[in-house]
Amino acid sequence: MEDKQMDLVYRVLDDQLVDIEGRRCGRVDDLEFDGSLGDPPRLYAILSGSGTWHRRLPRPLRKLGERIFGTGVSGRDVIRVPWEQVEEISSVIRLKAKARDLGLGQGDERDAALVAKLPKS
Amino acid sequence: MKKLFQIALGIIAAIGGFVDIGELVFDTQAGADFRFQLLWAVPVGVLGIVVFAEMTGRVAAVSGRPVFDVVRMRMGLNVGLITLAASLLINLITLAAEVGGAAIVLQLLFDLNVSTLILLSVVCLVLVVYFVPFGGIERIFGYLGCALLVYVAAAVHLKPNWHEVGQGFVPHLPSSALYAYFVIGVIGAALVPYEVYFYSSGAIEDRWGTADLNLNRANAALGFGLGGILSIALIVVAGEVFFDPHIQPGYLGTTALGAQQAFGEAGLVLALVGMLFAVGGAAVECAFSGAYTLAQFAGWEWGKYRRPRDASRFTMAWLIFFALAFVIVETGVDPVLLTEYAVILSVVALPLTYLPLLLIARDRTFMGDHANGILGNVLGWLYFVIILGVSLAAIPLMLITNGGSV
Repeated sequence: MEDKQMDLVYRVLDDQLVDIEGRRCGRVDDLEFDGSLGDPPRLYAILSGSGTWHRRLPRPLRKLGERIFGTGVSGRDVIRVPWEQVEEISSVIRLKAKARDLGLGQGDERDAALVAKLPKS
Repeated sequence: MKKLFQIALGIIAAIGGFVDIGELVFDTQAGADFRFQLLWAVPVGVLGIVVFAEMTGRVAAVSGRPVFDVVRMRMGLNVGLITLAASLLINLITLAAEVGGAAIVLQLLFDLNVSTLILLSVVCLVLVVYFVPFGGIERIFGYLGCALLVYVAAAVHLKPNWHEVGQGFVPHLPSSALYAYFVIGVIGAALVPYEVYFYSSGAIEDRWGTADLNLNRANAALGFGLGGILSIALIVVAGEVFFDPHIQPGYLGTTALGAQQAFGEAGLVLALVGMLFAVGGAAVECAFSGAYTLAQFAGWEWGKYRRPRDASRFTMAWLIFFALAFVIVETGVDPVLLTEYAVILSVVALPLTYLPLLLIARDRTFMGDHANGILGNVLGWLYFVIILGVSLAAIPLMLITNGGSV
């Protein structure tokens, strides 16, 4: 494989996302491309969130997957991270912005309010 | 010097932390049913966990990836989800067994109501996990678990026929389904996956890098390796004390009688204290492992080194694990039975965790010069074959032997 080429499934799909502050904030659950027929496709965005999972399950399990993991509502169970926000691909995918600004890590923020009530939290 | 001291402390903690309820149950039953004939299965299992742990520690130190990160990355979403579901179930059953075991030991020590002691066990474990730093948790349970070394002293004190003991280390083919079941149980008890989930995530928590690879080798080889001596001692003591009178150690407390036979009340108390901290430490590892696997699979923030509110879903996950284990044990289910199911199911799920790890550990793209060498690859693939064979035989043997009770 040439240096400028990258195996996206091997190096990017399912990898850990880490924001500019070093916070783990999701995984690369799917990839989104754009482009017209006949044109080369362009990697457009990373999709992160359990709402994408049903699409990757075997066909007979997809309905069940939607019920368990969500149907893929943008902004709720799927977050779209523009590819331009990727800073570096190493053992993790490092992003250029804070998770909060990209809409990532919402689950941790939601539960943080509950955990904050515990002592020395 | 300081580094050597740290390594020594880590090894002592690993020895004390090696034994959990799986070893206490399977090793004691193996000795009671087959005297010394199953001793050879201990080094097979122990070498397996040494190989497995060394690889997970090395992968974590070099690539910064804990086990479930590797599972998700290498096996993809579908197989990863199956592995996750199996691991969570096994962790939960094991956690319930360890909590139940802790309550039984406390009952033997203080003669209080079991239901109250289950609650007390869970509350104490949650408080320790919440307030004590990661290193402190490892050491409290690891050092006090070393009280189980009383079994090594008891094994010598009971003066077994050392020639017969030596013969027990010569592998021989299973003479019955029950024998084969206990071979799998003894190997499986040493190879429980939660230990490597915890070990690898702990390496990330302790911020290991390539400078810590020697520490990793020492912890894996000496800590787990010497921990195997405790397993051998449990079998020898059970073979001496329970085999001839045909005593079936179906109750966890029976295990402690072996030490009592050798050293009277002092032996009994040491055995019970060792058992309490061994199962308590294992309970903590199980709860953490459950939370680690879930967080790593989904990509959440995780780690004891983070403030609870900064890794809130991880914190909620281990708290919920303890709560679920509490509910399971309070139903009155026998912890020994839970242990047997947990160990056998662990064996079945083991290849799913082991394979992706082996693939990453030998991949120079991720591991560079620290990828498996020839020895690592040979041992790695050899153990993959062993694990695969053991995992295929585990469920049929459990059914044929009715969980080892025929």
